Amino acid sequence: MQDRFSKYHPLVNFLYFTLVIGFSMVLTHPLAQGISLACAILYAVQAEGKRAVLFTLKWCLPAMLLTAFMNPAFSHEGVTILLYFPTGNPLTLESILYGFSSGVMIATVMLWFVSFSRVITSDKFIYLFGRMIPAISLVLSMTLRFVPKFKAQMNAVADAQKSIGRDISEGSLWHRTKIAVTVLSIMVTWSLENAIETADSMKSRGYGLKGRTAFSIYRFDGRDQMALLYLGFCGFYLLAGVIVSAFGFRYFPSIRYIGLNTVTLSFQFVYLILCIMPVVLNCFEERKWKAIHSKM
Amino acid sequence: MKRLLCLLFALAAMVSLCACQGNFGSVNLKDPVDIPENGVIDQSTVMQIKNENAIAVFVGTSGDFKYEWTVFAGSIRDAKAVNLGVRLSKTNDGSIRVVLNQTEAFGFSASLAIHLNECWSAQSATAHVGENAVATVSVTGSRHTILNVTLDGTAPEIVIRPDLLPEKVIPTVITTAPLPLQGTDAPAVTKPQAEMPPTATTVTPAPTVTVTKPAVPPTVTKDKYNTDPVPEGKPTPVEPEDQEVDKGSSYTCTFSIECSTILNNLSLLDPEKLEMVPYDGVILAEATVVFYEGESVFDVLQRVCIENKIHTEASWTPMYNSAYVEGIYNLYEFDCGALSGWMYRVNGWYPNYGCSRYQLKDGDVVEWRYTCDMGNDIGGGYAVGG
Repeated sequence: MQDRFSKYHPLVNFLYFTLVIGFSMVLTHPLAQGISLACAILYAVQAEGKRAVLFTLKWCLPAMLLTAFMNPAFSHEGVTILLYFPTGNPLTLESILYGFSSGVMIATVMLWFVSFSRVITSDKFIYLFGRMIPAISLVLSMTLRFVPKFKAQMNAVADAQKSIGRDISEGSLWHRTKIAVTVLSIMVTWSLENAIETADSMKSRGYGLKGRTAFSIYRFDGRDQMALLYLGFCGFYLLAGVIVSAFGFRYFPSIRYIGLNTVTLSFQFVYLILCIMPVVLNCFEERKWKAIHSKM
Repeated sequence: MKRLLCLLFALAAMVSLCACQGNFGSVNLKDPVDIPENGVIDQSTVMQIKNENAIAVFVGTSGDFKYEWTVFAGSIRDAKAVNLGVRLSKTNDGSIRVVLNQTEAFGFSASLAIHLNECWSAQSATAHVGENAVATVSVTGSRHTILNVTLDGTAPEIVIRPDLLPEKVIPTVITTAPLPLQGTDAPAVTKPQAEMPPTATTVTPAPTVTVTKPAVPPTVTKDKYNTDPVPEGKPTPVEPEDQEVDKGSSYTCTFSIECSTILNNLSLLDPEKLEMVPYDGVILAEATVVFYEGESVFDVLQRVCIENKIHTEASWTPMYNSAYVEGIYNLYEFDCGALSGWMYRVNGWYPNYGCSRYQLKDGDVVEWRYTCDMGNDIGGGYAVGG
C-alpha cells in the first residue's frame, strides 16, 4: 500500500514523529506501551510490507529480549522476591517486569525510527531546518547521504581494481587483506576530497546566504492544517496527562499504578488515536482512491 | 477554526485538571505541623492521615527541647483525638524524663524524636517506666543527639537512660553550647566523640571512642585493601578467602536492623520509598541468631535476611575485598540524601573495614543501621574516615 501520510506537509510529518517518539520514550504504562508498539508495527508493515516484518524479527525482538533478561541480572530492587542468585542477591518480579517494559520501549522506538527515516527524507529535513540551522541540517543530510554513496563508490572502486587483476574475493588471506587496504585507502582519499568538493560547491551556490531561497514543492493546504490541528490537540492533551501523571506507573520498590477510570482511559484513547493516525489515513485515502477509480 | 481550537484546548485543560490525583495511591508525606499550645490533635486530622495513607510529622517544643512525632497511617488502629503534648526535662543523672499529656492509649504507635541540645557520648539508650526497661531508644544525630522512641501512649511517664558502653564506661554527658535546631548555616562545630574531653572523669577513663586517637601512629599505614590501622583491642580483619566455616560448632549472636535516622529525615527520602519505612524504624528487632565458627557479619546478614524474607542487595568490591551492602529492605544507599547508606556496628564499634572481613565471635552484638550523614548521625563517622 502506498504511504499517503508521507505526502503530507513535512511539518505535519515531523511533528507527528516528534510526538510519537517522545511519548514512547516517556510513558512507562504497559497499556500505552502496547498501543505504541502495536501502532509502530502496523504502520511499518502497512508501508513496507515484508521488509518491516523481517526487521522486527531480526532486530527489534532480540533487542527487546536482551534488555528484558539483562535487567534482572543487574537490578535486584523490588519487594516480590522470586528466588536467589548464587551471589545471594534476589531475583525480583519488579526487576523482570521493568526489564520487559524497557525492552518494549527500545523495540518501539527502533520501529518508529524506521518509519521516521523513510518518511522524513533529507530534502524534507533541509526544507524544515535549512533556514533555521543551515550548517547542521546540511551536515546531517550529507551524513545520511554519505553511507549509501560510500557503499556505491566502494563497489565501483573494487570493480575497477578487479579489472586490473586485484580481485578482493580471491587469493590468500594476506593477498586479500593487501587489496582491501588499498581499496580502503582509495576510499578515504575519495571521501575527503568529495566532502571538500561538496562544501565548495555549496558555498559557490550561496548556500545559507541571506535572501537565498530553496526550491520546494511542499504546499501547506487545508488538509495539512486539519492534521496539524489534530496533532496539536493530541500533543497538548497528552502532555497534560503526563504532567498530572495520568499514565503513572511505577516499578520500584513495588508496582503501583493509576487505576483505569474514564479520565485515565480518555488519555490512553487519545494516545491511541495519535499513534494510529497514519494507518487510518492510509486506509481512508486508499478507499477514496479506489472509489474514484471505479466510477471512471 | 480559531474558536474550535480554543474549545479543544479548553477541554483538554479541564479534563487534565479533573484527573489531578497526585500520586499512585501510595504513601505520601505531609508537611510538618506545629503542635498547638494545648497539644490536642483533633480526630479529623488523625482520620485524614489514615484515609490519605499519609505520614504526618508533628513538631513541638518543651523548654530547651524540640520534639517531633512521626505518625504513619499504617499504624493507626483507632482514629480519635489525641494530645501529643510532651513535657521534657533532664534529671540529675543525665537521663531525660518524658511526660505525656495523654494518659490513655493514642490508638496508634508513633515515633517520638527528641532533639537534645547536647551530644551524648552514649550510643544507645533504654526507656524505663519506673525501674523496668520497656523499650530500646535509638540514639542518632550529627550535631546534637536525637533520641527516637516508639510510644503508644499507654505509659504516661518514661525515663530515657543512656546505656552503659560495653567496656563498662559510665556515659559522659558532654555539654556543648546549645546548637540552633533549625539553623541552616550552623557548621558542625566539633566531632563530639573524637575530640571532646569527657567532663566527669573522676572515676572512669574516657569513652571507648577516644581510643582511636592514641592508637593511631603519626605515620598512617594502610593495608592492601585501603584499611586504616584497626584501633587497639578491636578485632583485625580476616580475609574472606582465609575464613573456614566449621558447621560443627555453632554460636549465637544478637542481630538487628534499624533505620530510625530516616524517620528524622523523611523529607530527604525518595518519595517512592516512603512505603518501605517501618513506623518505628525497626526492620528486624533484636534477635538471637545462630551462626557457625568462621562466619563473617555478611554471611550472617545474608542468611538472616533470607530466613526473614527481608530483601537485601550487595555487590562484591574487590578493592576492599568485601561485599558492599547497597540496600536492605529496599532502602538503598543514596535513597535518603547523598550521604546515606548502611553501616554495621559490632559491640558498639563501627569497624573500619567491610562486613565480609569481620569474623564473628560468640555473643557478639551486631547492629545494621542506616545513616543519612556518612555515619556521623549514628556515631560512626570515624569508620568511614570522615
